[in-house]
This record gives sequence, structure tokens and C-alpha cells, in this order.
Amino acid sequence: MMTEDQQMLHDAAERYLRDNYDFNSRREVVSSSEFMSEPHWTAMASMGWMAMPFTEEQGGLGFGMQECAVVAEQFGRFLVIEPVFDSVVVAGALLTHEGVNTPDAVIEKMATGEIHIILAHAEADAAPSVTNTRALLQPTESGYRLTGEKVFVAGGGSATHFIITACLGEAFAYALVERDARGLTVEAYKTYDGRSGANICFDIHIQASALMASGEVAINAFSRARARAALIASAEALGAMDAALGATVDYTKQRVQFGQPLASFQALQHRMANMLIEVELCRSLVAAACRAHDNSATDEWALILACKVKTANAARHVTQEAIQLHGGIATTDEYIVGHYFKRVAALDSWIVSRDEALETFIAVVDAA
Amino acid sequence: MTDYKLFRQGVRDFLALELSPELVRAGELTTSVFSDFEAALKWHKILHNKGWVAPEWPKEYGGTGWDINQRYIFQEECKLANAPSIVMMAIQMLGPMLMHYGTDEQKSFYLPRILSAEDIWCQGYSEPGAGSDLASLKTSAVRDGDDYVVNGTKIWTSMARHSNRIFCLVRTNKEVKPQAGISFLLIDLNSPGITVTDIVSLDGQIEQCQVFFQDVRVPVANVVGNENEGWSVAKYLLEFERGGHNFTIDIKKQLAKLRCQAQSVKARNGKSKLQDPVFRHRLAEAEIEAMALEQTELRIKGTLSSGGNPGALSSLVKCAGTELGQRFNALSVDAVGQAATPYHPDSLNPRYAGKTPAPGYALTAMAEYINNRAATIYGGTAEIQRAIIAKQILKL
Repeated sequence: MMTEDQQMLHDAAERYLRDNYDFNSRREVVSSSEFMSEPHWTAMASMGWMAMPFTEEQGGLGFGMQECAVVAEQFGRFLVIEPVFDSVVVAGALLTHEGVNTPDAVIEKMATGEIHIILAHAEADAAPSVTNTRALLQPTESGYRLTGEKVFVAGGGSATHFIITACLGEAFAYALVERDARGLTVEAYKTYDGRSGANICFDIHIQASALMASGEVAINAFSRARARAALIASAEALGAMDAALGATVDYTKQRVQFGQPLASFQALQHRMANMLIEVELCRSLVAAACRAHDNSATDEWALILACKVKTANAARHVTQEAIQLHGGIATTDEYIVGHYFKRVAALDSWIVSRDEALETFIAVVDAA
Repeated sequence: MTDYKLFRQGVRDFLALELSPELVRAGELTTSVFSDFEAALKWHKILHNKGWVAPEWPKEYGGTGWDINQRYIFQEECKLANAPSIVMMAIQMLGPMLMHYGTDEQKSFYLPRILSAEDIWCQGYSEPGAGSDLASLKTSAVRDGDDYVVNGTKIWTSMARHSNRIFCLVRTNKEVKPQAGISFLLIDLNSPGITVTDIVSLDGQIEQCQVFFQDVRVPVANVVGNENEGWSVAKYLLEFERGGHNFTIDIKKQLAKLRCQAQSVKARNGKSKLQDPVFRHRLAEAEIEAMALEQTELRIKGTLSSGGNPGALSSLVKCAGTELGQRFNALSVDAVGQAATPYHPDSLNPRYAGKTPAPGYALTAMAEYINNRAATIYGGTAEIQRAIIAKQILKL
């Protein structure tokens, strides 16, 4: 059951997106040369969504992941392409973790949408969890030299800043870098799910103050950012699969074959019942995992990882079935159902992959 | 505010005191819904003496007055302590139904006898020709003076060989549409004209029976509710059968047992089955499903305690819970491998102390795997549950 705050966030997000984010206008943005819609970005900022995870002292609303997930679920449902949570939840976690010296102004600008910061971590030959990066930070007289390459930076097309992870000696570390920093080249592209990505290449000098964290602080912050990314991915996948199921139910009621609506065939009814079972199991787990995270419960990690694995499995199943039950129409670009399928496919490997989550889950459970 | 910690401790203390090794053994060796009958009866009487045999019943009828969380804690602690399962048909279904539809005479006569186990009841719904399509049942009750004359047969009557009474759905009107001509009838199994035959299940044991009625005379006073209104009585009952169960408790127990089994099975290199990465991954996927199920049951519990109706979510949980249970059974059989294969019924008798062909941890694996096929069939098949979901939630 939702709290009053959550219900308000849900209603506001649902209303805004229903009224302003219909599938056709989304398609226009996706097929344009833009990586996101500036007007939507501004509107989302003015609704406070970007201030959600920051504390009131930081100029935020002081919400937890339970509240962020409520909005993220709507993002999944309406296939939002603006990387709001990539910035405020994931990069936000890296910048607000205890011991990280982020200037107040950076957080303020993030919370108001003036800038958006994207984590650039993945490297071509490493799993997303790997912290011994090939990218390097080397001390210089005035700061550091940062060299290396990062790939598949989700949301990187529109980012104004990057958080780049790198090794500082033996230590894992990360730095905050402006997109137009000298010596940073961004090769931006569209992704199959209508969002953007970037491969970046850098040999740049940064000031000492641009090094946000290193060593244990950096590792812990990274771990927290990953946990939150897993929750956002799960909530978004929940919204997407629920919407895919809804579309399937509506469509099979209308589509007549053999003289009767598809929905009257028992074989199809049972498959849709299976889809609903999956969606509701995920709904329970997403809420529980967010709650555990917000309360720092002892089973927090197990629940978050379980949530990531379960929603990834379920979202794949449900969106695949959605296409199958629709038939040919859902294989086209002009119909929404295939786009849910593409979005959840991208979420599967975003920051915490399903398989990694499963492996870590085993380690966490066996250590308990 | 109830102090649940204190309550849990009270339950634990009681279980520690009253559960004899033999009863625990019966609990450990339970391979289906039912435990060894002798042990179950002993345990039933102990619970009755304590006043805890029917936690779901209102206090005025001999229940406990516990809230939903206390009932959950009680079930959980019983399961963890390996208490045997008592025969639940009357407590779970007939009792609530009598409280709702029964006459004062019926209530005051039958309810105390259910609590004390003076009466053991079995359920007479299914017939050879009426399974999921229950309304097509044919066992007939024809009025003759102050009696009905009953003819026909009931099947899958679990525990009928140990029972002295049966609650039945019978046809009292053949002229109307099927649901409208059914009555709910209480029948003494010692009445002349009744034969009970055993059905041997796949595990070689007898739990199920078939009951035959030939010109059996049953007093008209034994109808519950009005004549020809048995269908609504039965539907009320089915909700109890579906909603009253917490799958998470069973699943957690299964998981703990499975981990134990997998740790006991050692390969020549000294590694246990639990350290086998292929097996461990399969287990982890099932563990994750169990967490999703648990959180869904907690959601339902929240709805119930705030006075809401979870509706068809209980169908959802029935599908997910029973199918996950079967998945754990399969993992169990895979974990112990060939040690699951010896057929040796004595091994599963709580009073047997002799040699067993398979190690202790493997004794129940195959019987549980076999017997739990029934879970997706009884109480409304998995297909019926999906039909309910399709109709009530998806409005298909």
C-alpha cells in the first residue's frame, strides 16, 4: 500500500506522462537527431522529480527509493527516454555518499535539472562490477591526469557531465568531468530502446578537487549507486511489463479471429494469467526491496539482488509474451508493445546485469 | 498492541515442552499434506487441551482469538519445530461453514466434537465424473419422510478410512440448472449402505479413498443451510481452503531442508552439492521466487488485516505457491540423486527404528516429489485458478 506522498507522486507522474508523453510524440523525439526532449526535461525538473533523492539540506525533497521507484515505474510505463534517474539516483548516490566532497552547487544544479551527470564506468573487456579499471588517474603537480576509454555510457548522449571511474594507484576512484573538457571526446549514439549512449575517450587534466572519492569511500559509494540502479531498473521494468500486459489484454479483447475475440481462447487466457502472476510477484518484491534499502534492513542486499533478478526474468517473459499474443503488429516500430520489450532488454544489463545480480545474490545468501 | 516476540516465545516454549521425539519424527517424515495418522491424532489432542487446535476460529466457538500475525507465527513455529500436521478438513472448512450456515443444534453438537477429535471428518465433493466441473456431481439424495436416501459415489476423500463422518455435496434437484439443485449434507460413515475403498497413491501409500453410497438413509436435519443451496455453502468453503494457507511457511521449511540435503551430498572431491555451481544457480533462482512469494503473501496479509479483500490474489498465490513447492521438490530429488530411489515404506514410519536403505537426509525426497503433484490439483486446479485470474482480475 502506498503512503500519501507516494500516491501523490504516482498520480502527478501518471497524469503528466499520460497527458504529455504519448507514444507518438515520443517517437518524434526518438526519430529526431536529439537524444532527449529539452521541454520534457525542464518540466520533469519543475515537478521536483530530480530533487527527490537529495536531502532537504542539499536542496532536495528527502525522499527514499520507495518514492523514486513510484516515479520510475511510470517512466517504464510511458517509456521515458530522459535519463533522470541515471543522473539523480545513480550519479547522485556517487556524489552524496558520506565522505565524498561534492560542492553544494553541483548537487543543487542536479536537483534543478540544470546539469545532468552520467556515470561512465564500463570498459570493453570488463563486467560492470569490476573495479580494477584500465582507466587511470595519475597525480600531477596541479591535480591529476585522467586517461582511458569508457564504453556504452547509457544516457551519455545528452549528459552535461560524466563521473569517470579510474584506478588511482591501487585504489578505485572516480572524478567529475565536464562534457566539453579539453581532451575528452564523446562518440554519442542512439540505442535500440530510444535512449542514448556514448563511448568516450579521454586524456585530460583535472584539478585535485575534481577527484570525488577514492579507496574505500569510492567502493562503498559505487556499491550504493549499483544497489540504487538495480532498484530503479526493477521499478522501470515493472512499469513496462505491467503496461505490456495491459496492452495485450486490451488488444486480445478487440482482435477477432475465427469469429471470436482472441481473449476468449483459454490457451491465451492462461498465458495472460501467467503474465499477471509475474507482474504481481515483481510488484511485491520491488516494494519490499526499496523499503529494505530505505530502512537499511539486514536483508537489504539479498532483497535488492533478488528483485533485480526476478524483475529481469519476469519482464523478459512478459514482454516476449506480449509480442507473441499480439502477433505481427507488435513486431512493428509503430506499435508500442515492441518498445517495452526493447526497453527491458536494455535494462537487463544496465549497471547491474541480471547474471551478476544472481551471482552476487548467491554470495550474499551463503555468507549470511 | 500485541507483543509478538513474547507470543512467539510462548509458542516455542509450548512446542519444546509438548512435542515428543516421536511426534517430531512424524513431522520430519511427513511427505504429503497428512502426517502419520496416529501421531497427528496425538498432537491434535495436545493442541486441544491447550485450546490451540483451531486458531482461526472465533473464541466463542473454542478458537484462540488470535490476530492474523499471531496465527502466522503459530503456523510458522509449528512447522519449524517439525510438529506433525493435524487432519484439517473439519477445522479449516467444515467448522467455519457450520458457524456461518449451521443451526444452533448443529453448531452445539458438531463443533465441540471437531475440536476434541471425537469426530474425524472427510470431504465428499469430487466424484469420478465431477472434478473441476464440480457442479456436474451426480450423487443423489431423494427425500423419503424424515430422511434422504443417498446413492452415488465420492472420490479423493482423503483420510476417509480414518474418518467417522463425511460432509458431502449431493444432488437434491435434477430439474434445475446444475448449481441450483445441490445440497450440503452431513453423513455418518457408519450408516448402513456405505462402503469405503482405498486408493493406492503413486508413493504406494493410502491416503485417498472412494466412498460408495447405496440407499443410505440420512436424516433431513443433517442438511446445512437450505436444501438446494449447497453450492453457495461450498463456495464459501472453497475460499477458506484457498485463502487459509500460507505457502511461504512451507516453502521456507522446504528450502531449509533442501539446503541441508544439498550440504549432505558430497562428491568425491569433498565438495557438497550446494557448492556445485550448476545446482547452486538453480537453487538461487528458486530462492528468489520464494522471496517474491513471501512478499506477496505479506501484501495479502496487510490487505486482510486492514479489513480488505485480497480477492483473486489468493488464486495467484495458490498457483505461484504450489508450483514453486513442486520446483523445490524437483531440486530435492536432483540434489540427493539415486539416494531418492529406494522404496522402503518402513523408513517413513515414525515408529520404525531399523535400518534404512538410503541415508536419513534422502528418505522423504522422492515421496514428497511424488505426492506434491496433487498440490496443483486439489483446492481448485492450477488451471481453474488461472481461469479465475483471467476472469476476475484481467476481465477477459
